[in-house]
Amino acid sequence: MQFEVLAKCHTTRARVSRMRLAHGVTMLPTFMPVATQAAIKGLTPQQVEALGVNLILNNTYHLNLRPGIEVLKEAGGAHKFQGWNHNLLTDSGGFQLVSLSKFTKITEEGALFASPFDGEPTMLTPEESISIQHAIGADIIMQLDDVVPSLTVGPRVEEAMWRTVRWLDRCINFHQKSGRDDVQNLFAIVQGGLEPDLRDKCLDEMITRKDRVAGYAIGGLSGGEEKDIFWRVIKQCADSLPEDRPRYSMGIGFAEDLLVCVALGVDMADCVFPTRTARFGVALTRNGPLNLRLGKHATDMRPIEEGCPCPTCSSGTTRALLNHTATLETAAAHAITQHNLVFQARVMGGAREAIMSGTFPQYLKDFFSNYFGDAGYPGWCVNALKSVGVDLLEGRPDTKVIPGDGAKWEYSDAA
Amino acid sequence: MASRPLFTLTGSPLAGKYGPRTGRIDIDRQDGTSILQTDTPALLTATSRGVVPHLSRDNVHLTKAIHHIQLPFESFLDRNPPVLTLVEGTQPLHTFLGFDPNKHAITLTLRDPSDGRKMPPNGNDFVSAHCTRGVRKVSPSAWKSYVSKCKPDLVVALSDTPFTPAPHSQKRLTKSIERSIAWLADILRVPLPDEAITRPRNVLVHLAGGVEAEARSEFAERLTEPIEQRDAPGLSPPLNTLDDGVAGYVFDLQPLHAAFSAEASRTNSSPSPANELLHSSDRQRSSPETSIALVELLHASLDPLPADKPRIINSPVSPHEILRLVRDIGVDLIDGSWAQRAADIGIALDFRFPTPTDTSCANAPVPRARANGKRDLGHNLFDALYRHDRSRLASCFLDGQSASSAVPPPHGLPVCECHACSPRSPASRILHSSVDSQAWADVRPYALQPPVMRSYVHHLLHTHEMSSHALLAMHNLTALSRFFAGVREVIARGGQEEFEREVERFETTYDEGMALWDEAERMWLEVERARGKGRLSREREKQAASMIGTAVDL
Ligand SMILES: [Zn+2]
Ligand SMILES: [Zn+2]
Repeated sequence: MQFEVLAKCHTTRARVSRMRLAHGVTMLPTFMPVATQAAIKGLTPQQVEALGVNLILNNTYHLNLRPGIEVLKEAGGAHKFQGWNHNLLTDSGGFQLVSLSKFTKITEEGALFASPFDGEPTMLTPEESISIQHAIGADIIMQLDDVVPSLTVGPRVEEAMWRTVRWLDRCINFHQKSGRDDVQNLFAIVQGGLEPDLRDKCLDEMITRKDRVAGYAIGGLSGGEEKDIFWRVIKQCADSLPEDRPRYSMGIGFAEDLLVCVALGVDMADCVFPTRTARFGVALTRNGPLNLRLGKHATDMRPIEEGCPCPTCSSGTTRALLNHTATLETAAAHAITQHNLVFQARVMGGAREAIMSGTFPQYLKDFFSNYFGDAGYPGWCVNALKSVGVDLLEGRPDTKVIPGDGAKWEYSDAA
Repeated sequence: MASRPLFTLTGSPLAGKYGPRTGRIDIDRQDGTSILQTDTPALLTATSRGVVPHLSRDNVHLTKAIHHIQLPFESFLDRNPPVLTLVEGTQPLHTFLGFDPNKHAITLTLRDPSDGRKMPPNGNDFVSAHCTRGVRKVSPSAWKSYVSKCKPDLVVALSDTPFTPAPHSQKRLTKSIERSIAWLADILRVPLPDEAITRPRNVLVHLAGGVEAEARSEFAERLTEPIEQRDAPGLSPPLNTLDDGVAGYVFDLQPLHAAFSAEASRTNSSPSPANELLHSSDRQRSSPETSIALVELLHASLDPLPADKPRIINSPVSPHEILRLVRDIGVDLIDGSWAQRAADIGIALDFRFPTPTDTSCANAPVPRARANGKRDLGHNLFDALYRHDRSRLASCFLDGQSASSAVPPPHGLPVCECHACSPRSPASRILHSSVDSQAWADVRPYALQPPVMRSYVHHLLHTHEMSSHALLAMHNLTALSRFFAGVREVIARGGQEEFEREVERFETTYDEGMALWDEAERMWLEVERARGKGRLSREREKQAASMIGTAVDL
């Protein structure tokens, strides 16, 4: 991997960088769409490329079940199998194991689980996870970590953190011996729950291994913790992590979360939210999400978002037609997915542009003003951005501040 | 301005009225500009809720097989006024639905001709149509006003086809004829000066009469009779007969097949599909016998009518049936819903007309042969057989990349130009910031990519990924369009005799029983059901609980 920071925001911790991997260059900060089963919902790889996306995510747990490693190897790896010529990231499979399997037991050796095929006890070790990710062939691979739910407290959190450090060493050793470390890049995952001292210990350990990891992920978040705690953990990690390594915040996808993370120094994020919500008829816009199933859109002849360059808006698809087809025709899901992925890419592309031109604080202010407007700003965003020198409320004495998560959704199903 | 006729027969004239024929459909726009010429026999692409199933707009435009589009209006009846009637401009349907006015010709029908569900009876002045909010009654005057606002390239007059349980009495058939005649007269009638309704340009008529040859003849004869005096006002420029105002003839095969199988089931109780996931037409099968019966019925309709108008066939169920209708009738525009439906249930078509002389196509497994020695029409990609199959979708078509490689394979296979077999990288990509050009500097635009592998589509089908259907829909439409190109070539080159020979060869090569369809449908239903319960469904429940996070996208 070649990683180069091109510009830094003069106020916040945000930065623009260029990351060259085996399948090309990706400009950071970026959002990575999720292709769990080796396809971005309903789209062809060419359609995804046309959106200006060149780094996507596959899930190791799922690809290992189907189509299976043997099929991927025969095809020459996951890139060739799914016809994707650009950069690809895989997770370790550990998170899904814990969240999707009822019987997973963590031991020092690895994660013990019941095989979904025959119910037989099966062990996923750190070495096995890396070996599977080698077969998949992603440009960025993740260490196996000991995942505990975000809200867990007590000694289990510390145990998991230390085990994650030990498993990182096993992943590094296996990866380096494999000879794949020149084409595939291993990322460490910082754990430690919501406890700052555990995060600090984990950061210390992992930073000492810097020469043997290509980048760092911040794990153990996005599991229902309070947002005011979430951003503090992100900030703590991003502040400590080395300048010359990309930082990846796992499972982040709401626009306001993305921008706060970028301001705190995060370079990459992934989430299923924009593609999943598209299937339910929800389109993301700079003025907030639109639930296209609502009757009020039935005769609206405007595109989802005026001026949006996505294939859906630029071809003149109206809200009225999407109202007619959403959740009933797969083509509606494709159309909204295309738009939503472009929306995410524009949020991040706009951030890159603003950081390059030294206007990122203003970009943040404009975004929040359009996105939340009179509905009020989420308090945690105000606090988080204040911590890096941006006062969203400056010159806006009338803006409401909403405690809690403060998301603004048009989610009612009333048609 | 004098516009050209909608349809022109090309090639050497036939001895009689029936037989394989080639022609050309010319669509002129209101201002006289020609926008589309189609050589016939040609493919008519089916739509659902106004869109080609599984295809986003960019993929519709990538699929060159799509020219003629069949647009059932009824799904838009769930709002009043229907949203299609609120669109401004000279080509409202193209504008709203994203079709290219210069490439796509839209045929508007009230009902979806492939939908054979039971419906409440029609009335003397309405047709019962179906939308998500239930049954809607559509009167001839409402239809006329919808058509006037939508300005389709072609429109089918309302027709009284009973979708009440068969059999239908003589009295019912007589009523059906009377109504259909009256409704045709109504749409042809020029509006009174105070009405803001214009007469539609190309009016097609469904030839009514059901499975009674006599009723069909009677309906057709009514079209050619001098117009009754009471119909005369407004039927101008003076039409001597209703047929003078008709641009072409439509045959809905779905109700005819349904009647055939209802007759058959009175002796042996073949069950109708009880599963709500299945379409009523899914279990319809053709055979040489059903084709003979169809040909007899279609002859009864066409005997009294002139030969030079296009004949449009809806819902044929197999290429065998299509070939026999081309051979014994001479049909011109043929709905591809069966091939599009095949994409729903995981089938990639792999057949050609004329039948390739060497069916053992190199480097891609050919479809399976059945006990009768005949080959399947394609591949059921749900089948475990394809788990490790890395070849392109169709053995009898080459993929674009191998065809263009420095050393092309030694066999002269035609190329499947669909986006699954001959994908190209996009011509351009959206740049989201001024530094983004650095990311794409090394990437070639519009470069041929390797074809989609069968094993990949197999995987997508089993993981319930929508991309599988998009890829199959593009491929199947392209394969079917290529089939029609082959039909035209054989007719143009060898006339009736050679065409007959080739049809025979096709019939002895490819399996018409379509056991493949039954198998694919069964596996498709299994995956659909597994999604409703079991492990996958538990996973989905868990994930619904957390809309975000590192959850996976199921
Ligand atoms: Zn858009
Ligand atoms: Zn193809």
